[in-house]
Formats: sequence, structure tokens, C-alpha cells
Amino acid sequence: MNEQAAYLTDKLNAILAGAGTLVPEFLLAIFFLLLITLDLFKSESIKRLLPWLALTGLFSVLALQVLGGYTAATDEPFLNLLVSDGLARYGGILFSAAGIFTVLMALQHRELERLKEGKGEFYALLLILVLGLNLMAKSVNLLMVFLSIETVSIASYILTLTLKQEKRAVEAGLKYILYGALSAGIMLYGMSFFYGFTGTLAYTTEAFALGLVQVDGLLVTIAAILVLAGFFFKISAAPFHFWAPDVYQGAPLPVVALFSTGPKMAGILVILRFVSNFTDATAFADVQLLLGVAAIATLVIGNFTALWQKTPRRLLAYSSVSHAGILLMVLLALGTSYTSSLLFYLTVLLFMNFGIFLVLQVSEQRFGVKSLEDFSGIGRVQPFLGVMAILYVLSLTGLPPLAGFMAKLLVFSNVWEAYTLSGNTMLLTLLILGVLLTGVALFYYIKIPYYLFFKRNQSQEKLVISPSNKLLLALFALPLLVLFFKPDLLLHWIEQLLTQTL
Amino acid sequence: MNNFILSSLIFTPLLAALLVLLLPVRLQQPIKAVALAGTLVQMGLAILLYFNFDGAVLANGQQGYQFVEKVNWIGFTLGSLGRFQIDYFLGVDGISISMVLLTGIVGVIGVISSWTITKNVKGYILLYLLLLTSVMGCFLALDFFLFYLFFEFMLLPMYFLIGIWGGPKREYAAIKFFIYTLVGSLFILLVMIGLYTSVIDPQATAVQMGFAEQSAEAGKAVVAQVQQMLQRNAISSYNLVRTFSIPAMMEPANFIPNSLLHVLSGSVLWDLPLRFIAFLLLFAGFAIKVPSVPVHTWLPDAHVEAPTPISVLLAAILLKVGGYGLIRIVYPIFPDAGAYFAVLVGGLGVLSIIYGALNALAMNDLKKLIAYSSVSHMGFVLLGLASLTVEGVNGAVYMMFSHGLISAMLFLVVGVIYDRAHDRMIHNFRGLAHMMPVYTVFVVIAFFASLGLPGFSGFIAELLVLVGGFGAPEATGLLPRWLTVVAVFGLLLSAAYYLWALQRMFFGKYWIFPGLREKAILTDLTTREYLMLVPLAILALLFGIFPHLLLDKIGLTVTGFTELVLQRGQEQLGLILSTLR
Repeated sequence: MNEQAAYLTDKLNAILAGAGTLVPEFLLAIFFLLLITLDLFKSESIKRLLPWLALTGLFSVLALQVLGGYTAATDEPFLNLLVSDGLARYGGILFSAAGIFTVLMALQHRELERLKEGKGEFYALLLILVLGLNLMAKSVNLLMVFLSIETVSIASYILTLTLKQEKRAVEAGLKYILYGALSAGIMLYGMSFFYGFTGTLAYTTEAFALGLVQVDGLLVTIAAILVLAGFFFKISAAPFHFWAPDVYQGAPLPVVALFSTGPKMAGILVILRFVSNFTDATAFADVQLLLGVAAIATLVIGNFTALWQKTPRRLLAYSSVSHAGILLMVLLALGTSYTSSLLFYLTVLLFMNFGIFLVLQVSEQRFGVKSLEDFSGIGRVQPFLGVMAILYVLSLTGLPPLAGFMAKLLVFSNVWEAYTLSGNTMLLTLLILGVLLTGVALFYYIKIPYYLFFKRNQSQEKLVISPSNKLLLALFALPLLVLFFKPDLLLHWIEQLLTQTL
Repeated sequence: MNNFILSSLIFTPLLAALLVLLLPVRLQQPIKAVALAGTLVQMGLAILLYFNFDGAVLANGQQGYQFVEKVNWIGFTLGSLGRFQIDYFLGVDGISISMVLLTGIVGVIGVISSWTITKNVKGYILLYLLLLTSVMGCFLALDFFLFYLFFEFMLLPMYFLIGIWGGPKREYAAIKFFIYTLVGSLFILLVMIGLYTSVIDPQATAVQMGFAEQSAEAGKAVVAQVQQMLQRNAISSYNLVRTFSIPAMMEPANFIPNSLLHVLSGSVLWDLPLRFIAFLLLFAGFAIKVPSVPVHTWLPDAHVEAPTPISVLLAAILLKVGGYGLIRIVYPIFPDAGAYFAVLVGGLGVLSIIYGALNALAMNDLKKLIAYSSVSHMGFVLLGLASLTVEGVNGAVYMMFSHGLISAMLFLVVGVIYDRAHDRMIHNFRGLAHMMPVYTVFVVIAFFASLGLPGFSGFIAELLVLVGGFGAPEATGLLPRWLTVVAVFGLLLSAAYYLWALQRMFFGKYWIFPGLREKAILTDLTTREYLMLVPLAILALLFGIFPHLLLDKIGLTVTGFTELVLQRGQEQLGLILSTLR
């Protein structure tokens, strides 16, 4: 009895001591509860407040994580489950920014604004999703990873189905759930292997790494494949990318923009922590080869499939797959300090994805764009929208003078450096493919400006774009220019954050 | 001379573009006037620079730059990779001065030629000015990153200028141009990544190590000390400052010892030293731009579809970026591979000369004929460069300059007939000399200048290249003599296609294809056209009769350049081949 009590006291003390590091998550949870509660009221004025409440919550979390200052009494990870290091903190900043952008985009979205039922739900789920992303970035325990991924997934399934009257949304939601459940199962299975190998789920500890070395390499590889399957699903890397085009086609655009950034960023951070166990080139050659093949497959499938797409949504889905390929590629630059390059890439990805999806949202809602051809001539009527589209498209391709180029340059530098260090031909293959596929990427991305400017529009309607949309478009574009001309501003800060462990 | 003339040269068109942006769309004439003013200022600055440039300064590509501007632009640390440094680094030497002057002149001509554009003038002028900014930036940048930025940025304005204001097949031509050049620049990007991760800035590294307070203070002794320490692997990777500076990349002592592009690294890929592969990639990237056979196929399409002023710009200055890149970047950074692949480069040059000329001979479209003549003439640049003799390289630079003037004239001349008849097929016209005598005079001048008649600048260029080529077996031993002999046939062919075209279109009894008779109003040259053609003709003559006007400026740089490249090339080639065995 006493032993039990002592154990309980210890646990409680640990929780209290570590709770300080989880302030952002608590804050998100509080705002979530607040939203759910206020959603119960029927009053219109309260309903109208809900998005702004969500925005306030996300903003305060963003500010909190940018400013820092919340700390724990101990240096231990929270219950050996969650760690609040610089990586998680920067991730948290990106996630809350993604959340804010999603709300801002949703406020411009006609159907979402007119939503009669479940509007509060939408914003509440958004907060839960961001909470889940934060937990993903902080997890150092496989079980916790599973829980947080599932939190994100469940929120994602429902968010996909926000506009229930749309047939495509229902189809997309169903596909998403089926794929998601399958990959979650596979992942859990793999995790059980790792528990068996090492006797621990804390996958960043030394005990875990030591345990792995003692097991047969083949078994580890199989288990790694199983676990990575779940992670790849989240970042939409091949061969687990099949949900992406359908979901991108069916879900409301603010949600799509969030999916193309939030879960992808969190997923890659989880993979980053996970693969740090497999840096030993001799013991884990197979795992590295596997990752390399996955990166190559993702790059090739993403880029080449995008070539044949007729609708902008599917095109961007495959573009998002190809970006997952580049993200995987960074992780293979073992032996170089690739974390800051990765975080820089994620930051740029955030702005350009939200930018291009906002362009798409405006085009869809104002000009009824459904296929690429519907873009015809819009750029001539709306030069501002056209120029912004060009900026985002060029950044996505990775051409100067936009931050997308800088991000790719950093990634490629890391890979080249890793190749210099290890002489691993796979890295060179990856590098060459990564660079040359930019040419392929240009070929499909350029279709958007091509239709915007080269083709003529049949109807000469004069439609206006709201100032708030224009402002948002400029807001997403500005960092892309700034981060090209002064990337060191962000890189310095990232380096600073990364040096602080807790 | 003030210190910011180079920046002013680059950003004057951009400033004009910002002004244009503020003007409302319907003010077409003021928009064009602003563009004209901007380009006139740029030309003025270029001429000012030309006169103030001291041709007596020894330069070799690695040092001896004038009017240098160097400011730290981007600097960041990537953990164990050390610091990365990107500079805003500009300078001119004898090679770039000629290109700057050319860009200044052609920029103005292009605006005058654009006066006939009526469709979406504001957008057109904006893109035109952006294009000029980036081309000028390319010729002045001494930092690879900055160069690459300008190099890539040329694509986009060009893509839209061809794709929106071009002819019937403009979309196809624009995409083809874009994809070709982008693939080329991706090759360049690959090598750029390899280079800047391997090369350090000795001065900045000295500062990082505490040897000097500021990089400008680190003298030769300090630099030598840092370089020695580097080669002994005695500098911690945290102190290394990697750089994009092109002159720093030319110094083998600046390469990090275990980096793959180091001369002694012994790294091979597919049985070729990695440095050779890097050279080939860079060469391919710039050869697309030159363009050299077999990667020239985008050029005829782009030229035929582009509106006249854009064709002028494309032929006169954009193509020169390719040749310039070879001289500024490829050869001095990889002199070993330059020596090793001399026959390949020279051979492709000769192939371009002959194949381009043969194609020109077969063309029915006057503009296509001139596009292929561009391919043919740019082949001389490759041949001259590959010979690595002083005459040959001088000839290559002279060819770029002279071809810039003459091809501008040629495309303007085509534009004149196209404006009037909306057609430019050679077999649709006969005896035009009767209807347009003055125009015919200018056509004759342009054709003769291009085919290398003595007295015109093209003659000097071709002569120098051929002298260099013939001297190469003795002087450098890099090229076999028969290569140059074959190139001479190119001259013959170019005389053939020009004279034949002249005979078919302009001489004989006046006749015009019946379908064109109604639309075509064959008036002679207008004042605007005189304004463009007369200065170009005068310049072509001037630089043909007084070659020292240009050779005095470029001579010493070229001498220094060839010495450096040849000497380093032989040394390093020996080292590389010895590490292989």
C-alpha cells in the first residue's frame, strides 16, 4: 500500500514538475473546451465569435512558443513520453502558424463561412489537430507517437468531411479513413516488434539503440518498414500517398492546405527522431537503403504523376508528394547537420503551400476554376492574382529569387556533403534526381501561369477579389522573398533554438 | 569614378521598371518613354564605364577586377559544416567590359524597336526591363550565387515575352526555350552545389580564425598561411567559411582537401574524374545557352516566334551569357578539364559552324536562316576558346561582341520586311531592291558584315579565331589543325547562304507572292528604323576598322586568362591523371 502511494506521489511530482513544458498544449486544450462549450449556444453572435476565438487561441500558442520561457523544473522528458526541445518548439511554432493560416483561409471560404451546422466543431477540431501535431513533435515514446498520430488522424477524417453535402468529400473521407486505419494498424504492429527487440518504447534512448544493434538486422529492417509505413502515410510519401489526391480533391481547401503542411511537418519530425537510431551505416545499411528507395520513389512518382493531372487540386496533391520526397532526402544526409536545413524547408513549404492553395481557393470561388483549363485568361484580368500565382509556383518549383530555391539549395548542399563524407552512390543518385526532377516539376507547375496568362478567357466578366484575400496573398508571398534574400535571419534563429535542449 | 557604377548599371532598368509599374496602363507612350530613358541611362553608364576602364591593368579572371563592389549578403552557419558566405560581389575585367557595353547599346536599340508593340505595353516593358537587369547582372556578378540568380531570372521574362507577344506557335516555342534553358541551369546548379561546399574564402576564414580583424585586412601572407593550413587539414571545420566567390573557386589552394572536387581527391564516377564530370555538366549548361549543336534546337523556334525586339535581345545579348559563362566560370575553375576536353569543345564549335551554316542554307524563312547563322557564328566562340591561344580567346570575345551588333542588325532587318508584308518567306519575294532601295542597302551591309567582309567587326573576330586555331597545334597543342581547316569552310558556306538569299529576295525583277500583294505596303525605311540601323552599321564598321578600340580593353585580361588557364590546366591535368593511376 505504501509502495503504491510512494509510486503515485512520484508520478504526481513528475507530472507537476514537467507540466511547465506542456503549457502550449494545455492552452490549446483549454481553447478547445471553450469552443465546444460555446458552440452549444444557439446565439448567432456567439457563433460568429468562434473562429476568432480559435484564432486567439492559436495566436497565443504561437506567441508563447516564439517567446519561450515556459520551462520545467527538471530536465527529464515528461513521464518519459514527451520532450520539449528546440526541435519540438520550432515545430510547434510552425503548427500554430499553419493553424492560424487555416483559420484565416477558412474565413475567406464561402461554404465554410455559411456552414449552418458544425462550424464550432470545425474550429474545435482544428485546435485538436494542432494539439496532436504538437504532441507528435514532442513524442519520444512510440506509444505516444501512436496516440498523437491517431489524434491527428481522427481530427483529419472529420475535417475532410466538413462539407457533408459534397459527394467527393464523402468519398475522400471514406478513403482516408480506410487507408489511415490500415496504416495505423501496420505501424502499431511494427512498434510491437520494437518493444520486443529492446524492451522499451522510448525510442530516442540509448537502451533502445543498444537493443537494436543486438537483434538480427533483417528483423529490424522489417519492423522499421512497418513503422515507417505509418509515418509515410502522414507525410504522403510513396507508396502510401494514394489517399492524397482524393482527399485534396474532396476536402475544403483550407483543410487541404493544412494537410499539405501540418501533418507533413509533424510526420517528418517524428521520422527525424526515429531514424536517428539508424545512423550506423554498416549495421543498418538496409534501413538506409529502404529510406533512400522510398525517397527516390516518392520523388519520381510525385513528379511524374503530376505531369498527367488535369485538375489543379490533384496536381498540387502530387506536388505535395514530391515535396515529401525531398524531405525524406534530407534525412538521408547522415553525418551532416541537416536539422536546420529541414526546418528551413518546412517553413518555406508552409508559406508556399498556403499561398498556392489560397490562389486556388480564390480562383475556385470567384472564377469557378475546376480544371487547369479554367484558369485561362484569369491572369490577364487579375494581374495581382496572376503574379502571386507565379511567385508561389516558382517557389514550389525551386527557382530563384524565391525561398523555395534557397530551401532546395540547403537540402542539396547537405546531401552533397553527406556524399562527400560517405561516398554512398545512393546519395549522389538522390541528389541528381532531386535536381533534375526540378525540370520536370517546372513542366507541370508552369501549366498554371501558362493558362493564367497565355490563354484567353471566353467570358470577360469583371470580378473583384476582396482586399482581405489580396492581403493574405501578399502575406504568404512576402516571407518567400525575404527568406530568399536573407535566409540567415531564420537560420540563425533555428540554430539558436536547436542548441537549447529543453 | 564613384563606387556604385556597377550596381547602377544593373539596377537602372529595374528602377525604370518600378516607375513603369506606377504608371497607369493606358499611358502607352509615357511608359515607352520611361523605358527608353532607363535604357539610355544604362547605355550612358556603360559607355562611361568603357572609357574609364583601364585596359592596362593586368587581370586574369582571378584578380585584376576593376570597380569592385563587395558586400556580405548572406552568411549562416550550418552546424558542423561551418559557415556559408554569399557576397554581393561585382567587378569588371576586360572580358565583361565588352559585354557590358554591348548590353547597354542593344538595350536601347531594343526599346526603339519595341515602339511598334501595342498589345499590353505595360507588361511588355516591365518584362523587358527586368530582362535587361538580369542580363547585366550576369555580366557583372563575381559571386556564383549572384550569377546564378541573374542567370535563372532571365528565363521568366523571356518565357512570357515569347509566349505572350510572340508569333503563332509562341506557346510551344516559349515552353521549349524554358525547359531547355532550365535543364541547362540545373546542370549548373549541381556543379555549383559541389563547388561551394568545397571552396573556402581564405580571407573570411582568416577572420574566423582570428588572424585578421576584417577580411579586407587579411593580406597575401595571411591568405597563403590559411591556404597552407587548409591543405594540411589543420583548420577545424567550424572555422571554414565556404564561399560562392568565383575568383576563390579558381584557386586550387582554396579547395578543402577531402572535398570531391579537389584536384588531388582522386574521386571518379563512371571512370571519369569528378572534376571532368563537373566540367562537362557546366559546359552542357552553358552550351545550351550559346547554343552549340546538338542542343541548339530551341533557338530557331524561339527566334522565329519571338517578336523582333526580343529576337534582337535574344541573339545579341542572351546568347552571349552562354559564351561568357564558359570564359568566366567553366574554363578558369576547371582548367584541367578544359585542356582535356579541348578537342570536344572545339569540335562542337566546328560542328556548330558547319551544321548551322548548312541548315541556314536550307531555310526558306529569312528569320530561321538568320537564327541558324547565329548558331554557326557562335561556333567560332567555342573554337576560339578551345584553342586557348591568346588570339583565339581574343577572337572568341570579339566574336561575341561583334555578333551582338551584327545579329541585332540582322533581326531588325527581318523585322522591317515582316512589319510591312507580314511574311518573311524568302521565296515569296523577288527584286525587293526596286521597291525598297535604302532597305536593301542595309540588308547588304548586315549580310556582308555577318559573312565576315573585311572592314566589318565580324571579319576581325573570325580572323582572330582562325589565327588562334591554326596556331593552336604549336602554341598549346590542344587542337588538331584539320579542325580549323574545316571551320574555314563555314565562312564559305555563310557567304553562300547570305548571297543566295540576297539574290533570291532582293535582286532581279520585282515580284511578290500574289497572296501577299493586298496586305503588303512596301515603303522604305522610317526614321525609327534609321535610328536603329544606322548606329549599328556604324559600330560594326568602327570596330571592324579600329579593332584596337576593343582589343586594347580586353587584350591584357585575355592574355592573363589564357596564361592562367593553360598553365594551371596542364599542371592540374597532370596531377589528376597521376592520382588515377
